[in-house]
Amino acid sequence: MTPTANPRVQGVPGLTPPPPEPPPASPNYLENGTSLWSWLSTVDHKRIGILYLLTISAVFVLGGVAAGLVRLNLVTYNSGILSEDAYNRAFTAHGVLMLFFFLIPAVPAVLGNFLIPMMIGAKDLAFPKLNLASWYVFLVGLVFGAWAILNGGIDTGWTLYPPYSTRGSQSSVVPGVVGVFVSGFSSIMTGLNILVTVHKMRAPGMTWGRLPLFVWSLYATSLIQLLGTPVVAITLILLGVERVTGEGIFDPAIGGDPVLFQHLFWFYSHPAVYIMILPGFGVVSEVITCFSRKNIFGYHAVAWSSMGIAVVGFLLWAHHMFVAGISYYSALLFSFLSMLVAVPSAIKVFNWTATLYRGSITFQAPMLFVIGFIILFTVGGVTGLFLATLGTDIHLHDTYFVVAHFHFVMVGGMVLGYMAGLHFWWPKMTGRMYSDWWSRVSAAIIIVGFFLTFVPQFYIGYHGIPRRYPNYPPEFQIYHVLSTAGASILGLGYLIPALYLPLSLFYGEKAGANPWSATGLEWASPSPPPVFNFDEERMPVVVCGPYEYALGIDQLGRGLPEPPGPGGAEGPAGRAGVTGPAGPMQKETEVVG
Amino acid sequence: MADPHSHPPAHGTSYDVTKDADTPGGLFAVYLVVLLLFATTFFVSSSGVLGRYALFVQLAIATVQAGVVAYYFMHLRQGDRVVTLTALASVFWTLILFVLFMSDYMTRHRVVTG
Repeated sequence: MTPTANPRVQGVPGLTPPPPEPPPASPNYLENGTSLWSWLSTVDHKRIGILYLLTISAVFVLGGVAAGLVRLNLVTYNSGILSEDAYNRAFTAHGVLMLFFFLIPAVPAVLGNFLIPMMIGAKDLAFPKLNLASWYVFLVGLVFGAWAILNGGIDTGWTLYPPYSTRGSQSSVVPGVVGVFVSGFSSIMTGLNILVTVHKMRAPGMTWGRLPLFVWSLYATSLIQLLGTPVVAITLILLGVERVTGEGIFDPAIGGDPVLFQHLFWFYSHPAVYIMILPGFGVVSEVITCFSRKNIFGYHAVAWSSMGIAVVGFLLWAHHMFVAGISYYSALLFSFLSMLVAVPSAIKVFNWTATLYRGSITFQAPMLFVIGFIILFTVGGVTGLFLATLGTDIHLHDTYFVVAHFHFVMVGGMVLGYMAGLHFWWPKMTGRMYSDWWSRVSAAIIIVGFFLTFVPQFYIGYHGIPRRYPNYPPEFQIYHVLSTAGASILGLGYLIPALYLPLSLFYGEKAGANPWSATGLEWASPSPPPVFNFDEERMPVVVCGPYEYALGIDQLGRGLPEPPGPGGAEGPAGRAGVTGPAGPMQKETEVVG
Repeated sequence: MADPHSHPPAHGTSYDVTKDADTPGGLFAVYLVVLLLFATTFFVSSSGVLGRYALFVQLAIATVQAGVVAYYFMHLRQGDRVVTLTALASVFWTLILFVLFMSDYMTRHRVVTG
C-alpha cells in the first residue's frame, strides 16, 4: 500500500525513492590532519567529541577498577582484602570518578558534541574554541582528581559531607574538591555551547517542533548544567575555605550548619542525576523509533517531559535529607514534590512503549541496550518512589536499597543509554560497522550481569544492611557473593565492546551513510562525515519532522534506504520492499512539524 | 579569511557588535561602584553599627552588586529578549533555592503535635 501525500510535508508527493549513496567525504574529519597536534588543537566538534570519548573511557576503566575492589572486598563479611580505611577510599574513588568524570560528561560531551550540530544542520557548535577549552578544563579537573587519588585518595564518600570532610578526614579532600570544582566549568561550557547552538544555528526549516528528541533532551540537560553547576561550585569553595582556614560555615563545632551543606550540595546533585539520565532518554527516543520503524508516539509529550524533568528536578533535592534533621513540614513538602518527577518520567516510558506497539521491531545491539534501559530505568524509577515516601525512606535511608536504586537508574539507565547511543552512532562516527553478533552478546551479558549485581542489594538493603560498611553479618554473605558474581559478569559485558569496537576500526565492514535507515539529518552526511558535516554548497533544508518512518522519508524529504533486518534486508526476516510500516500502521502514527 | 567554523546569525537576525559598545572608562566606573559597595559591606560587617539588621543590608548590597555586574559586565544591557529572559530565569531559580531552603529553616523548630 502506498502512503498518501501529506500536505504538512512540503514537497513530498508520496513515497520518495531513496537518494544515491553520497560519495565519501574527502577529506573526512578523521583524515583532516593526522598529527597529535592536529587533534590537540582541533576546534572541530566531532574531533572534540572523540577526545572526550577517549578521556571518559579511561575514567570508566579506573572507576570500574575501584568498583571491583569494593565488590571483591565484600565477598567476605569481615573486610578480607582491604583495610577499612582503604575501603572508604575505594568506594569514594568509584563514586567521584563515575559521577563527576564519567556520567556527567558521557552523553553531552561525547555524543552531544558530535551530533548536535549534525542533527540541526549546522557546521559546528556556536563556540568551537570554547568547546575545545571545555575539554582542556575537564582534563585539568581530572588531573586534580588523579592527584587526590594518587595522594592516597579521599575517604569521605562522593558526597563530601562536613564536618568529617572539613575537620576529621586526613585524606586528599582539597585536591579532590578542586578537581570537581574545575570540571564543573567544563560542564557549564558544554551546556552553554549546546544551548546557544540550538537557539541560533538550526538549519532552515528546522523548527522547534521538528527538532530530534535527542536535541530536546540535551537542551533540557544544558539548562540544568548552566543553572545548577554554579551552586555546587560555590558550595565546594565554602567547603575548601572551612577546611583550610577553619572558618565556621558547615561545622557545628565552630558555628556552622552541616545541613546547610546538604541543602546546597543536593540542590545541584539531585538535578545532576537528570544531567546524567536526560541525555539517555534522548538516545532511547532516537533508537526506539528507528528499530521499530515507527514514528515516535507523542512527540510533543516526550519533548516537553524533558523540559518538565529539568524544571521539577530542581524542586525535590531534600528527599536526600529526610533523616538529616530537616523540619517535618519541609520533609512533607519535599516528599510530595519528589513524587511529581515521576509524572514526566512515566510519560516518556509510556510513550516509548506505545511506540513499540505494532512496530516492525528488530533487535540489533542499540535496540537491545534500549530495551534494557527501559526495563532497568523503570525499576530504578519505581524504587525511587519508595525513597521519596517519607515513612519508607526512614527505614531505607543509607542502606543498600538506595545503592541498588540509583545504580538501576545510573547504570541500568544511563550507562545502557550511553552504550545504545555509542552503538547507534558508531558507524557514523567511524565509518565502520562493528560485529553484530558480539554486540548483541555484549548487550545480553550486561543486562543479565546488572540484574545479578543489584537485585540482591535491594534485598539486603531492605533488611537493613547499611551502605559504605565493609563488615556485615555473615548470614548476608551469600547476597554479597551473588552481587560480586554479577559484577564480574557485568565487567565481562563491558570488556567485549572494549574489544570489538576498536577492532571494527581495522576489520569492520565499511558503513554507508545511513546503515540503520534512520531519518535524522546526521544520516544524510557520509560516514565518517566531512569536516563541516554537510556539502558546503548545499546546506540542508528541513521539510518535515524527525521521525517520518510511516512515510518512509528523512528530514530532507528523501526516501529511506532499505532498513537492515536479521540476515540482511533480503533475508527471511528482512523487510525488503518495505521502507516503513505502511497500511494499517498509519493510524498509530503522527506527523510532526 | 573568515573562520570556516563561524556561522552567520540564523533566521535573518543581525547584531551590530559595535552598538552600545562598552568604553574602558565606563567599565572602570562600574568597577569602582562595585568596590565601593564592597567597602560598605565590609564596614557594616565589621563595625556592628546596624546590629541585627546588618545581614539584611549586606544581602541587599550583594544583590545590587550582582545586578550591576550582570547588567554591565555580563552585557545584559545589550542583550536581546532571549538573553534577558535567561537572566530572569536564573533569578527565578535563585528564588526557588531560597524559598525551599526557608521551608526548612523557618519551620525546623516547630513542635509537631497530634
